[in-house]
Amino acid sequence: MAMIDARSTSRSYDGTAQRARVSGRPAAARRRRRDQWVAYGLMAPAVGLVVLVMAYPVAWEVWTSLTSFSVRSEGRAFVGLANYQTMLADPRFWSALTVTGVYFALTTGVKLALGLGMALLLTRPSRWRGVVFLAVFLPWAYPGGVTVVAWYWMLNPPLITSYSLLAGNVKHAVDGVFGPGAWAFVSVALFNVWRGGSFTAVFLLAGLNAIPTELFDYAALETRNGWQRLRHVTLPLLRPFLALAVFLSFTTAFADLANVWMLTGGRVIFPVIGTYAYWLGIRNGQFAEAAAWSLSLVPLLVLVLLLLFRWFDRPVEQPA
Amino acid sequence: MSGRRRWRHALLLAAITLYSLFPIYFITVQSLKTPEEDVFGSPLWVADPTFENYSELFETGTEAQVRGYAILPKVPFVVWLGNSAVVLAASVALTLVCAVPAAYALGRLRPAGWRWWRRGLFATYVIPQTILFIPMYQVVLALGLDDSPAALVVIYSTMALPFCIWLLSAYYANLPREIEESALIEGASRFTAFRRVMLPMSRNVLVAAGLFTLGTVGQDFMLASVFLLDRYKQTVAAGLGVMDVSLEELVAVAGVNMAAIPVVILCALFARGYVRGLTAAMVEGA
Repeated sequence: MAMIDARSTSRSYDGTAQRARVSGRPAAARRRRRDQWVAYGLMAPAVGLVVLVMAYPVAWEVWTSLTSFSVRSEGRAFVGLANYQTMLADPRFWSALTVTGVYFALTTGVKLALGLGMALLLTRPSRWRGVVFLAVFLPWAYPGGVTVVAWYWMLNPPLITSYSLLAGNVKHAVDGVFGPGAWAFVSVALFNVWRGGSFTAVFLLAGLNAIPTELFDYAALETRNGWQRLRHVTLPLLRPFLALAVFLSFTTAFADLANVWMLTGGRVIFPVIGTYAYWLGIRNGQFAEAAAWSLSLVPLLVLVLLLLFRWFDRPVEQPA
Repeated sequence: MSGRRRWRHALLLAAITLYSLFPIYFITVQSLKTPEEDVFGSPLWVADPTFENYSELFETGTEAQVRGYAILPKVPFVVWLGNSAVVLAASVALTLVCAVPAAYALGRLRPAGWRWWRRGLFATYVIPQTILFIPMYQVVLALGLDDSPAALVVIYSTMALPFCIWLLSAYYANLPREIEESALIEGASRFTAFRRVMLPMSRNVLVAAGLFTLGTVGQDFMLASVFLLDRYKQTVAAGLGVMDVSLEELVAVAGVNMAAIPVVILCALFARGYVRGLTAAMVEGA
């Protein structure tokens, strides 16, 4: 990564530096230094806010994962990496990690495919485009924190209602094939796809709008069919948008799971890392283990982020 | 387009509309049902629509009400709506007020290591939220924001900030330098040039950032129900979430729809600007 960054800073367009070369040296240097301080000053509120809210909690979580903090034992002794060792030796961790990976991959894949399809449909001129666009936008705009309440009780009806029989049959059919809890899991995945797919569609539509139409005309001449055009022209041009969409999809995937855990008062546990960490921490009071579990995904996410930065944080930014 | 292709396109458009709207239609139908119809009616339509569930949200009077055999506390829905509006508006405002100067600094002034500042802020998204609210509660207590909507506003803003800074700084970085310089030549200060020229130009990007904040904030339910315990300080999401939904499922669903109406109107008004803003930030630069 360091290599990429070195390349990027040397190439990056910097008007201030150019101006400095034109005018006298000491004054320009002074001005450049002043600009630096102004820049830090302007960044202070944002950085300050993030540090204020995040620094202590993150430090707490990391520190806790290295101690024996639990309602089951007295005091908080420093135990080093013992919690991580227990976690890695726990077969539940590995099955949870697998399920988490599958959940990530499945929901993200479906969201990208659906979103891209909807975005491509919306780029074609049509009388109904405006209306359909609003409809596609709605799932994301609909306040999700509130909708999840409704969504969950619709898919897992609490009382005898007119659709209970239908929903119940589906639930038992799915649970019968994949084991208990499968339907609850699928229902959350569906909600995630419904809402996230809408965001992805609008996001990719914005990306498609940026591609000059002439490019598509050339592409139509150069390629044999729509699939080729998609693979060789549209997707490469959309890459920064796709990368950003993937990352945002990753980070939001678990908010929904946590929501459902809360909504059902901890009755429904999904075998994924996030909810298991929850269960350990909130239900069992094993805070140290819970911290270790929830931090276990960080290295993976950082890796993904660093890879994706190559696509959506391009080293060269052309001056328009 | 040939006739057949046009039909296929129209059919696909209809399909995605149906897919996007169906869950909303479904919960709306349920919310219009009487208890009898909820049990014996059809799941897909309502024969005898009633606004009973909606009006129950706005009922004033005694603190508790009897429904069947259960005694249920009255829902201060209007108060919740007001609280939600305040929290949402304040979160969007705080996010933009912090994001705009930071984005200008990162996109235009380019302090040393600006790229890593921006990436570092963005990397806060990898922090797992699962049990983070425990130490966060300590922060909230230390700040004296216990049981106050201000706690939510501060936390929500940090959730939306990195993406908003990313968008805005990309836009300011791509904006042709001459635009700012022509204002400077005419004797305007840097601040005036920014306020009079660049800020109005980035209107759509601001809309995009604002709507993104709204969407991110609207998604949360967990933090709201953890940090707001007082019934009269809760937001709609917290209130409905904590309410005993199994007993008043239809009222809760009605509440969901009521709360959604203003948000949906806002989004419909700004939807075009949202798309244009995203495009402008990521690519065009003008």
